[in-house]
Amino acid sequence: MISFEPTEDQRLMVDSIAQFAKTTLRPRIRELEKARAVPDDVQKTALELGVGLVAVPEAVGGAGLGLLTAVLLEEELAFGDPAAGFALAGPGSLALAVTELGTEAQAREALAPFTDGTPRFGAVAWGEKKALAERAGLSTIAKRDGDTWTLDGEKAYVLNADRAEVFVVLAQVDPSKGFRGLGAFLVPKAAKGLTVAPRSTTLGLDAASFGGLTLEGVKVPEASRLAGGDDFDAALVRFFAKQSLVFAARSVGLSRAAFELTRAYVDERKSFGKPIGHFQAVAFTIADRAMDVDAARGMVWRAAAAWDARDKSDAERGDAPRVDERECLRQSAWAISFAHEAAMRCGDDGVQLHGGAGFMRDYAVEKLMRDAKQLQLCGLTAEHADQLAAAAELGVPIDPALVLPTAETQNAFI
Amino acid sequence: MTIEFSLSKRQIEMRDNVRMLATGVIRPQSLAWDRAGGVPEEFLRNLARLATSMGSSAMRSGLGEEGGKEKKKSSDSMQSNLGTVLATEELSWADGALLLSLPGPGLGGPPVRATGTPEQKERFFGIFKDQDAPLRWGAYALTEPAAGSDVAGIRTSCRKEGREWVLNGRKCYITNGARASWNVVFATIDPSLGRAGHRAFVVEKGTKGFGVGRIEDKMGLRASETAELVFEDCRVPEENLLGGEEKYASKEGFMTAMKTFDNTRPIVASMAIGIGRAAYDYACDFVKRHYVMSRPIPRYAAMAERLARVGRGLDAARTVTWRAAWLADNGHANAKEASMSKALGGQAAIRACIEAIEICGAEGAIAEDHQLLEKWFRDIKVYDIFEGTGQIQRIVISKRLISNLKSF
Repeated sequence: MISFEPTEDQRLMVDSIAQFAKTTLRPRIRELEKARAVPDDVQKTALELGVGLVAVPEAVGGAGLGLLTAVLLEEELAFGDPAAGFALAGPGSLALAVTELGTEAQAREALAPFTDGTPRFGAVAWGEKKALAERAGLSTIAKRDGDTWTLDGEKAYVLNADRAEVFVVLAQVDPSKGFRGLGAFLVPKAAKGLTVAPRSTTLGLDAASFGGLTLEGVKVPEASRLAGGDDFDAALVRFFAKQSLVFAARSVGLSRAAFELTRAYVDERKSFGKPIGHFQAVAFTIADRAMDVDAARGMVWRAAAAWDARDKSDAERGDAPRVDERECLRQSAWAISFAHEAAMRCGDDGVQLHGGAGFMRDYAVEKLMRDAKQLQLCGLTAEHADQLAAAAELGVPIDPALVLPTAETQNAFI
Repeated sequence: MTIEFSLSKRQIEMRDNVRMLATGVIRPQSLAWDRAGGVPEEFLRNLARLATSMGSSAMRSGLGEEGGKEKKKSSDSMQSNLGTVLATEELSWADGALLLSLPGPGLGGPPVRATGTPEQKERFFGIFKDQDAPLRWGAYALTEPAAGSDVAGIRTSCRKEGREWVLNGRKCYITNGARASWNVVFATIDPSLGRAGHRAFVVEKGTKGFGVGRIEDKMGLRASETAELVFEDCRVPEENLLGGEEKYASKEGFMTAMKTFDNTRPIVASMAIGIGRAAYDYACDFVKRHYVMSRPIPRYAAMAERLARVGRGLDAARTVTWRAAWLADNGHANAKEASMSKALGGQAAIRACIEAIEICGAEGAIAEDHQLLEKWFRDIKVYDIFEGTGQIQRIVISKRLISNLKSF
């Protein structure tokens, strides 16, 4: 069945997050930006709302509500402040990484500290400081000696690097296999040889923190390796697709925020004796961005619903048809690139229709425009998503190279 | 309820049946019909029989063949807006002109259903019930030589004389207008009254003073009949005034025309998406089978990107279209969303048809077995024009978003 109606439970959760976004995040959006962090009292409220573990299965300590519920809530948070989702305490990307890549026991253990009500951060380090010319793959290396792995390399653009207590680090396990020779390791912040570089100054999403990690002879036990079940490569692609879909939901929230602010402004601002919204050039732009918001939201919902349908057991699914992983990847890829580009258009036109006022920090649209550009680089970029969508559609092998910085995509993401 | 997007078993069965017909029976004839400028009636009759014997109402539900029945339809039913939209995409994927040529009330159905009196519904839908009777069509005549998007500006006049209405004027670009057993015709009692002066009539074939002008020679959809209708002191019995006199005490007359669009725009959007997907599927197959400089084409990032963007655009439009139809099925207002679906569907499909030709290269436009691409390229353009141009959709959308915006 096709339906666009959330469940009663989802509606209640969405309402409570929307309320938090409206009364707390939006009024303090510039405060979060200046502080380059989420203040403690806001962290506390958000923790009580419990957004971070919504999609994590119950078996490993999460709420088990699925990716669809997660994207509904992420959109609302981002409507308040697109940076909030990145800067609120919680496991962040680590939650999906350990769920997809780890065993149930590994995921449960890694996520346990995040369920005790204290604000903690987790992080996933996939970006690389140094791009390789001589071979495909990552320059951070993991070498095995008996039951111990030694990690060496420099990771870059790690979200919440300076806040995290624990990392999932991606490294090259077998250099001869390129992007099919990668591994993932749980590394505590306290590990010897791990240093966190100072955070970067960014274009947007100021409340979020992006920084680097240096690993010099960092030793972790075999038990910390996340093997990705029987197919690490497929699990890694799933992780990137799902995580990027969460980021895409934030872009939907951003689009809606920029759209709503701009719609209100064109009603209010007068020139040539009437509201500027009464001129066709302005009104049609509003119509186009409204289509962007609706289409992006629908596509993100569809992709999230596809993953939830795929992840259901046969018993849970009942009569509903099985959803193929390729279809999930294709829908996700389409949704991700569309939502990010729509957000950029909404931010850009938001500033444009505000005119000179849009350039001033008295209005929120300039921040949303900067945030939109930065969001486009979080998780899979449009370039990655296009390659992934085409590969899924055409039935060519889905290689982890499709979701990592390679010659085909020519860019790195954060 | 819950948010979900998987098709029900019935919907999957319908889709598979239509796809079978599309690939096995319809597509092989598509180019021949385009060149001949029509679909043979024998084929239409066989198709209707085949659809019935397959136990699928999808073929008949395309444009509301179920007549005057008003029972509540769940979204699972093929007669629901959502069911119609799903079936329409599949049929249009097979051949857009065929879909427009299917016998039945066509675009004339929705206004009769929405506004007709019980007697009128019985009379005008009744003629479609007998499957052994000759094929019959209904049609919808609104556009005039001097009034297209500006619906309120129609000039075809009507005046009451005794128990008859006398119509004078011309209608153009009317799909199936010449062969229709009846046309829903919009006229005005006084152009200075604007919308309040509009009246809708069901004009039956053979009515004195009603004639067919020229049959248009078109860029695409050449197998679909597009006619000019001429009214010269055409005398229409008062029983054929749609909804009866009391309907027109307010602005209802014009609203009849507009209400029709809320239901039909998502259907037209899915027609466009069907053709766009035909081109997209064709390009995907081409890319999978071809190698350039000893590398498979999918290895070329620029080619993959093009395909991804075409597929994505169609899917964005499809999602919005599903939502517009779902809103209507659940009794919610959907004028804005219906216009969004139409604006997105037309543009995404045009893009798809252009890109498919470019992806397949010279072969796309020339080689004998690739002429479907060339046909779709010609067929698709009008989907951003009829049933409200992309610009009109943006007017409809923006009026619902911007305060106190009456007109530009």
